[in-house]
Amino acid sequence: MSEILPDKAPDLPSPRNPVLSLLASLKFALVVILLIALACIAGTLIPQGSQADAFLEQNPGAQRVMHILSILGLTRVFYAWWFALLLFVLAASLVVCTYRRYLLISRTTGAVRARVAGSFITHVSLLLVFAGGVVRVLWVQKGTLQMHEGDTVTHVASPDGLFPLPFSVRLVKFDLEYYESKSKPVDDLTGRLLLQWADKKIQTDFPIATGVVHSIRAPDAPAGAPAAFTVTVLQYVPDFMIDSASGEARSRSAMPNNPAVQIEICGGGAPHTQWIFARFPDFASHDGDPAAQPLAFRFVMVSASALAQGGPDIKAYKSTLEVLENGVVVQKKVIAVNSPFTHRGYTFYQLSYDPQDLTWSSLQVVKDPSVPLIYAGFLLMMAGLTVVFCLGPWIDGQRRKKGGTP
Amino acid sequence: MMSLFNLGLAAYFGALICAVVYLLSRRRVIDWVANGLILAGWLVQTVYIGQRWAEAGRAPFSNMFESLVLFGWTVAIVFLVLRLRTNIPWLTAASAMLSALALAHASTFESAIRPLVPALQSNWLTFHVLSCFLGYGGFAVSALVAVGYLAIDRPGSTVPAETRETLETVLTRTISFGFLLLTLGILTGAVWANSAWGTYWSWDPKETWSLITWFIYAIFLHCRFVRGWRGRRAAWISIFGFVSVLFTYYGVNFLLAGLHSYA
Repeated sequence: MSEILPDKAPDLPSPRNPVLSLLASLKFALVVILLIALACIAGTLIPQGSQADAFLEQNPGAQRVMHILSILGLTRVFYAWWFALLLFVLAASLVVCTYRRYLLISRTTGAVRARVAGSFITHVSLLLVFAGGVVRVLWVQKGTLQMHEGDTVTHVASPDGLFPLPFSVRLVKFDLEYYESKSKPVDDLTGRLLLQWADKKIQTDFPIATGVVHSIRAPDAPAGAPAAFTVTVLQYVPDFMIDSASGEARSRSAMPNNPAVQIEICGGGAPHTQWIFARFPDFASHDGDPAAQPLAFRFVMVSASALAQGGPDIKAYKSTLEVLENGVVVQKKVIAVNSPFTHRGYTFYQLSYDPQDLTWSSLQVVKDPSVPLIYAGFLLMMAGLTVVFCLGPWIDGQRRKKGGTP
Repeated sequence: MMSLFNLGLAAYFGALICAVVYLLSRRRVIDWVANGLILAGWLVQTVYIGQRWAEAGRAPFSNMFESLVLFGWTVAIVFLVLRLRTNIPWLTAASAMLSALALAHASTFESAIRPLVPALQSNWLTFHVLSCFLGYGGFAVSALVAVGYLAIDRPGSTVPAETRETLETVLTRTISFGFLLLTLGILTGAVWANSAWGTYWSWDPKETWSLITWFIYAIFLHCRFVRGWRGRRAAWISIFGFVSVLFTYYGVNFLLAGLHSYA
């Protein structure tokens, strides 16, 4: 690596106005950046917002310290007035420095000019991002929808209260999907039974272990109430089939190609047995009166390691939404994490769900006019840095090949 | 598949030993063997990552094991590209050591392929993580160069000025590369966050520490190109920056809870 990088970029004389001179000073800008960095460090090490409240509950002795930190705004660093002021001062410094770089472009040549131009573009991009941040703070509409299946809403809850939507949204359906286990030797696999009540509220789940009797209480039963049902796993077959000769269920192989469990349910009527299939959760074979049971079961195959970590792996959670205008469905979409949908500027994001109530879904609704500005800033930033770090050195190289100076 | 992992680790470890032997013996052939072993280790790792990618059906960048493997890979590729343009003998040993350490440390984590949580099921995962880790690779090599610079730049040192200038150039080049890639990583992360949650910045600890790291290297670049800082001061900022990289990558995962807790 024989080339030597330029020692120092050209600069303009300092402005006569003392305020502009201060804002144009690199030393001043670096001090502001350092202060913002220190504030950021404090914001990650000191419990913030609701975390601060939780921290106080666990450490009542820290009340005085936390009170002082709270007065200083250090428990809400990123929303404190002084943090906003630091960002504002940095933005003001950026404006002055950007203008000075603009003036420098016409006074430089070759690789130096490319670097100054790239630096100018990068600083403009930072100003765009700052402007986007201001637009977001002033005009973003953001809130959450918490809905049960069948609910229709016209307003969204935000920290500032409810805001109306220019249309209605209905949660048609919520679905939770689990990963299917890949084919592995049966010894490495085990499963869980998920127990659902008729209203889809999951009360409990338990590992598959044949012969063990599980007592099930109704979800709304008071503590100490007697069990409403008992569930016993009678047998597990990894590759379910019906023997044509005997008519009995048996396993075709040791591989979990069609895993199934047979359970016995007692209580709420005559005992009955039922086969549940991991790959066909909606199919169940009963030998009793299934209508008498307000229970539904799902059999989920999971690996032993997944079981040790608390249950089956969730692949996706999805909400099926309908958008209604004047009572008419104009759009029907399924949204999932990383797969939102937008209608008339409002974007719906899948936020969370309730493992205890699979009819419930939480959505984020955002209308953010800052996004085009922010993304333009992002594109310009990459363009500017590419000019500084790639085009500048390339021009240097070309000049050197021709025997000139950078 | 783990045999490829072990082969890569062995290649880096072999490169480290050869590079140390070269520093003691100054026999040219041993230097070539050391560099060849790093190249071999990197190629084996590339195949390993590719195989894991094919088996998992997704980019293998989603947990500590996978990210440490990627880190070792990026350190090696940054070193190899640098090696095409310049020869700093002790940097071969230092880079081989760092890649070997990354893989050795990875082996202490669970290596089983796990399904992705819904939040990570996005094509942005590949761009975001790869950009960040290529940046980390650049910063890691720059920190190694900075340590080397501080070691030779002592009163009475007989190291020629040309060597120091080469180190300063490499330091600036690797940091420039790292800064470009870290910026891309932060921006792609922001775009991803916006498509997943409707917010491109939420002051999550990992995001915030990435910004702190970005600030430190921005300070380095301003001091270097506007103020003309060189030598020991620039080397110290580089080391300080890499400490911040380590905390961003490693410390945040274990000490601070947030949106990146799964990483």
